[in-house]
Amino acid sequence: MNEQEHQQLIKKAQSGNASAFEALVNDYYEVMFKMAYKYCGNQRDAEDITQEACIKLARNIDKFKGQSKFTSWLYVLVINTAKDWFRSQNRHPEGTEMVETIAQSTEDADEKLYAAQVWEEVHKLPEDQKESVLMVIGQGLSHAEAAQASGVKESTISWRIHEARKTLSALFGKEERYGS
Amino acid sequence: MDHDKLDKILSADHTPSIDDNARKRSVNLAVSEFKMAQNEKTSKTFQGNSFLSRLMGRTTQKGENKMETKQRNKLMYGGMATAFAVIVVGGLSLSQLDQTVSRFDQQKQEISAIPAGANVSREVDSQAAAAYITAVEETNEQDTIQQESSAIPVPTETADARTKVSEIHKELEQPVPRPQVKAQSPKSAPTKNITLYNSQQKLRDTGQAKIAPVAPSTRIAPSIAQAPQGLQLESFAAPTQNRALSQWHRPAQDELSIAPYPYPEPISPTYHDQGRDKFEGFVPNPFKQVTTEPVSTFSSDVDTASYSFIRKRLNNGQLPDPKAIRVEEMVNYFTYNYALPKSEAEPFKPNVSVIDSPWAEGRKLMHIGVKGYDVPTQSLRSNLVFLLDISGSMRQPDKLPLLKSSMKLLLDTLHRDDTISIVTYAGRTGVALEPTKVSDKHKILSTMDNLRAGGGTAGSAGIELAYNQAEQNFNKNAVNRVILATDGDFNVGITDREELKRYIERKRDKGIFLSVLGFGQGNYNDHLMQTLAQNGNGVAAYIDTLSEARKVLVDEASSSLFPIAKDVKFQVEFNPNAVAEYRLIGYETRALKREDFNNDKIDAGDIGAGHTVTAIYEFVPVGSNARTSDALRYGSKAQNAIVKPEIAPEEYAFVKVRYKLPLESKSKLITHPVAVKTVQMNEDSTFATAVAAFGQLLKGGDYTGDFSYDDVIALAQKGKGADSYGYRAEFINLVRMAKTLSR
Repeated sequence: MNEQEHQQLIKKAQSGNASAFEALVNDYYEVMFKMAYKYCGNQRDAEDITQEACIKLARNIDKFKGQSKFTSWLYVLVINTAKDWFRSQNRHPEGTEMVETIAQSTEDADEKLYAAQVWEEVHKLPEDQKESVLMVIGQGLSHAEAAQASGVKESTISWRIHEARKTLSALFGKEERYGS
Repeated sequence: MDHDKLDKILSADHTPSIDDNARKRSVNLAVSEFKMAQNEKTSKTFQGNSFLSRLMGRTTQKGENKMETKQRNKLMYGGMATAFAVIVVGGLSLSQLDQTVSRFDQQKQEISAIPAGANVSREVDSQAAAAYITAVEETNEQDTIQQESSAIPVPTETADARTKVSEIHKELEQPVPRPQVKAQSPKSAPTKNITLYNSQQKLRDTGQAKIAPVAPSTRIAPSIAQAPQGLQLESFAAPTQNRALSQWHRPAQDELSIAPYPYPEPISPTYHDQGRDKFEGFVPNPFKQVTTEPVSTFSSDVDTASYSFIRKRLNNGQLPDPKAIRVEEMVNYFTYNYALPKSEAEPFKPNVSVIDSPWAEGRKLMHIGVKGYDVPTQSLRSNLVFLLDISGSMRQPDKLPLLKSSMKLLLDTLHRDDTISIVTYAGRTGVALEPTKVSDKHKILSTMDNLRAGGGTAGSAGIELAYNQAEQNFNKNAVNRVILATDGDFNVGITDREELKRYIERKRDKGIFLSVLGFGQGNYNDHLMQTLAQNGNGVAAYIDTLSEARKVLVDEASSSLFPIAKDVKFQVEFNPNAVAEYRLIGYETRALKREDFNNDKIDAGDIGAGHTVTAIYEFVPVGSNARTSDALRYGSKAQNAIVKPEIAPEEYAFVKVRYKLPLESKSKLITHPVAVKTVQMNEDSTFATAVAAFGQLLKGGDYTGDFSYDDVIALAQKGKGADSYGYRAEFINLVRMAKTLSR
């Protein structure tokens, strides 16, 4: 399905067409799940969060005005759902399962160990930095889009990304073995 | 580190493959939510900006008949006013119950002495009003109802047609008697009148001192006046109204000025901890007169769920809900050393002891204890089917993980030829493990390790699958049992509770029994669990710790798994020449009709191998001063006369026990006369008494007089005995905790 068809589906769903909405959710489930998974790092929570987010989407699809990309808009919805979810459970995302998954996925043993460590550190970043890193680097949003999504200035996003990179570089940069 | 490298890692896709079930579920839920949202959009009703208009459910239809509006409002305001008045009157009559207390009387006089005490001014948000008031042009009119209030206001006048929508400001003068507010202190939340009355009595004990500093009766009314009327009604309806009201206990400032619009803070429930745990309430058995009701009948109860639940609560630092307490289950939690029957043919015999009641002088306690014949465990085979709830809520460490460890414990106690199968429901319904011999331990263990809680609740028939497994592998000479483990989700496939009960009963008659293990809290459905286990000839146990799992599944494995007698009923006939009054402690939910005792069609509780069942009666011997109600002037001589030793009756009571052997349908009878001389004060009966006292204290202590937690501890210490498993020591600790918490 291309971009244009998606736009049409969204329009139809916004006008109250249930089957269009169903097709839309079916199509975006995977995207949403990936977003949730990257945020929380384990499958069970990601499933629950995605389910919540789908329900939220049903109520809020009207509010998408087409000013940003649908995925960016969706991302905010998923991340906010995830935050609420963890707040309501009084927990924090752990990310340990993700580290294990990475460890199983890549071929190169060093590479996967490295990736897992990076992810572990990303999950340890301050919440706002982590969020921005996930949006910009993880999801490929522009700084402007991420700023809009988080409700902060673009410069704030840039600063957060910079800080996060600094932290990660300090942790990983000096190790010869993993250097570029 | 290199930016590209980081980018590459973070944007790489490590997501695991998507669970198709989870996806479908989400899509379905979202679509139904979507449809609902669309429906709401098309038929949107006006919700209003103020809570009052919310209550009225007004639509925005422009051409609405003015008369209709008026009438509806008449109904609305009238109803509210009436409800308010009823509460006031009700509160007063409650306080009148307490005439003996002069303080209350005094207070009442104070109240009636204050005319026009309360000014209830209410401002309807003008925006909200605008939506429908435009038609009515009396917007600025102030309709004032003045009522010279006496102690009992005339409610219907408030409901007068004069009350109109247009009343933006309304002054309603009504005294609010303090006793009413007080009478429903949080502890009296159970709706039974008796409890209400008791809390009133307690009030008397706590004295006026507590009330006075908060708000002297003269000020209560004005402080309430600041609450919008609708809210008051709401808060009166809620059991927590005294807390809600205290939010309005602001200094009575300028009453004539327009009250600020005080939105209430959310009213928190009285039992914060209660969550969605469900318990069925009941009133403790009262004293009965032997002359009018000489016979007491009840069914045996070997469940222990109540005790474990109470323990969990206390360990969490919360006093349990009185409704959760079933004294007999607490008493039966402990094993007592009753004399054992000799053979399977006569599976048990009653042991009776009579001791003085520790909490009331002149009363006595009669313990009836029964211990089931202990089947040598090795001689019986079992065919067990676990029906496991794996819904998302089971994920917590005290649920599924604990269950898995419990099952492993059980596995060690089973014979290698026994079979186990596992069926899961809620989430993924299906057979996780086909009937497998225990000797194939490896397979069973690996299946268990792969069990994972997750996802929502799907509705296919898990329970039928479970029974199918049991039937497939049915062994006439074995115990065939389905063990349902859940935290309260009973979506086992049969949604109708009655039908579910009947289904379990039918299977029970075929020889497949059901036991229920409860886990966790927050969603725990105590009542349903009990009912199902009772209908399935099984036990209901609440597992809160691994040691409890060990107790239920290992130490008492034979009793939880092998029934030695079913439909065990007790009937006690008291001798009116010896006993004036009696009361059965606990067993409220197990009471039977007198005629049901001999009716073999009536189902009752079961006793497993080695189970002990203890029932305690408190009674007042004839001639004792401890009677609760006065002797009859025209009653029989025996009832009234002081018993002289030479004509003293020989028996207090006659105990009858009916039971059926597991595979028979005709009952057998055991009888046991209780001689007056029976006095046995041993460790077991002392300890059982302490447990019964504790249960009654937690339930409100209606009949235990001044008996305190300290007395319970002292008594339990005395009856602790060898206590090889440490259960009794744990009990004493719980009493200490309860003592601290109840301060």
